[in-house]
Amino acid sequence: MSAAAPADRSGSTRRRACLLLALLAGAAVPRAHATDWEASLDARLVNSDAERSFMDGGLGSVRFDRTDSTLQLGRARFALTQSFAEIWSAHLDASVWDDKDAHLLGATEAYLQLRPYPRAGYRLRVKAGAFYPPVSLENRASGWESPYTLSYSAINSWLATEVRTIGAEAQLEWLGTRLGHAFDLEVTGAVFGWNDQAGVVLANDGFLLHDRQTPVFGRVGQPNVPPLNGAKPFLELDGRAGAYAGLEARYLDRLVLRVLRYDNRADPTQIDSVAGVIAWDTRFTSAGARLETQGGWTFIAQGLDGDTLIAPHGFMIRWPFRAGFGLVSRRFGRHTLSARYDRFWVHVQGLDGDGTQSGHAWTAAYAFDAGAHWRVSLEWLQVTSDSYNRQELYGGPLAARETQVQLAVRYALGSALR
Amino acid sequence: MHTFSSGRGAPRAAFLAVLLACVTARAATLVIHVQTVDGHGLAGAVVTAYPLDGPPRHAAPLRAVMDQVNRAFEPDLLVIPVGSTIEFPNSDSVSHQIYSFSAAKRFQLPLYRGKPYPPVTFEQAGIVTLGCNIHDEMLAYVLVTEAPYFGRTDAGGAWSGEVTRGRYRVNIWHPRLRDAGTDLERELTVQESDRAELTLRLAKPLQPAPLTERPHSWDY
Repeated sequence: MSAAAPADRSGSTRRRACLLLALLAGAAVPRAHATDWEASLDARLVNSDAERSFMDGGLGSVRFDRTDSTLQLGRARFALTQSFAEIWSAHLDASVWDDKDAHLLGATEAYLQLRPYPRAGYRLRVKAGAFYPPVSLENRASGWESPYTLSYSAINSWLATEVRTIGAEAQLEWLGTRLGHAFDLEVTGAVFGWNDQAGVVLANDGFLLHDRQTPVFGRVGQPNVPPLNGAKPFLELDGRAGAYAGLEARYLDRLVLRVLRYDNRADPTQIDSVAGVIAWDTRFTSAGARLETQGGWTFIAQGLDGDTLIAPHGFMIRWPFRAGFGLVSRRFGRHTLSARYDRFWVHVQGLDGDGTQSGHAWTAAYAFDAGAHWRVSLEWLQVTSDSYNRQELYGGPLAARETQVQLAVRYALGSALR
Repeated sequence: MHTFSSGRGAPRAAFLAVLLACVTARAATLVIHVQTVDGHGLAGAVVTAYPLDGPPRHAAPLRAVMDQVNRAFEPDLLVIPVGSTIEFPNSDSVSHQIYSFSAAKRFQLPLYRGKPYPPVTFEQAGIVTLGCNIHDEMLAYVLVTEAPYFGRTDAGGAWSGEVTRGRYRVNIWHPRLRDAGTDLERELTVQESDRAELTLRLAKPLQPAPLTERPHSWDY
């Protein structure tokens, strides 16, 4: 049955036909409340000469240290998207990384999204729950993974470790490309809580390069292993909401520009003496650009500039930090070759040198997509850094060069992967 | 048998008019060449030819299909006469949510897979831009036209149609056009000769083509 009405049919007949069809359709259409799911297992063969891993209380710059040079679990992941009431959806991304967290299974993101239809070229999107702020231009694959390298850049590794929006975010988009223009614009604003410890790992360990995302309300490091004793980035200590605001501009599907200002607005004088934690007031500005060409090239540049401070008993210590990277990637059919250069530093004001770190890293990666289900990746990562804490707290070297090689095999299943 | 005298001018005029109509109704071939700014033939450009003489004429409505395959509309551009219908099946394993907020046709097809909805009727001329509210990379166009003659240029950048003689307004459109539509509007008269040709050259380069080969799971 078709709603095609002959052009000469009278308007009222047509209206009646349309109404009848609409009623029939309404009765026949299963109002699809779609469920999309994905499950994946990522196994790694690791060779590393790095210092003790940050998850074991050390100051190694990469995920796997020299005692981990064996078969490792990269990530076991299950993700679910459940749509309901047409414009609502619930998202859950749960992972097992290793046995080093407080709980074996943790959610890296869990949120509810409202996505009404665009009107007159504008679209509003609202998210509530726990999710990443729109900062990264490389973590664009499902599960907030990077399709280019196994280990994320220093900037995005830090977000994976300590930053998550636990609150509500609204995005207003102007869909210029749907109105005959060549670009789209988007403004984002969010309020959030439970991120008053963002900055504690950065001020202690400095920048790291890894792909271990701290689950929401999860732990970084191990309890009773000083100095962090298992940091918990996702705590609310002062009852003050944090906020961020961002801007994104896109030229067709070729170029994305993103700027975001983040402030967790933590009260740095707050101390929870029972839990033994201090509120870390962390602010940063991130800016980045991603360019893709028809020839399969991708270029990403991203920068981060900010500081984190504590002021227990009126004694203020401030750690300014800065990081940036440039990434070049080229796809050849099912093959992807990527190279990235990272630079980063953390300074300190108010102490002799605690927490200062600086360095750079080179990453080279090759990925082969063997069909919809299998992906094989090989990555070489070398981090060269100076770390005051490594020498003063752990008796290690001030300067270190750490190299980690990973061969990853990932198998994925899902409703969209057939 | 009628004979015409000089005193009976009206029937004679009518006869001449019929004779003239017979002559002008003879079809001629209209060929439109569309060229890019550097002079190469532009394939896939939409050509519409609207007669300026005589009563308005439309092409008969069509029933068209625009599928959704591998998170893309297939085809991603349809040209249809006013009053035509388009069916929007979803052949993907993931759900899509189709919308248009274009003035010529505002509609939504709530989240679906398969073929649950009746075809959509397009009653107003204009360009309708379609998107999926879930997958922003999905983009398609429907050009709804009142012109009785329309089509898309071939690989060499040419379109041809059999048209009746008379004056025509010819318009060109392409999804990646940077030129204003009015700059590419021409009037021409298809006269006695059996073939009329017109070459239209864009003044500005096209926008770059959408990227292909990007994995679909990249949605951040």
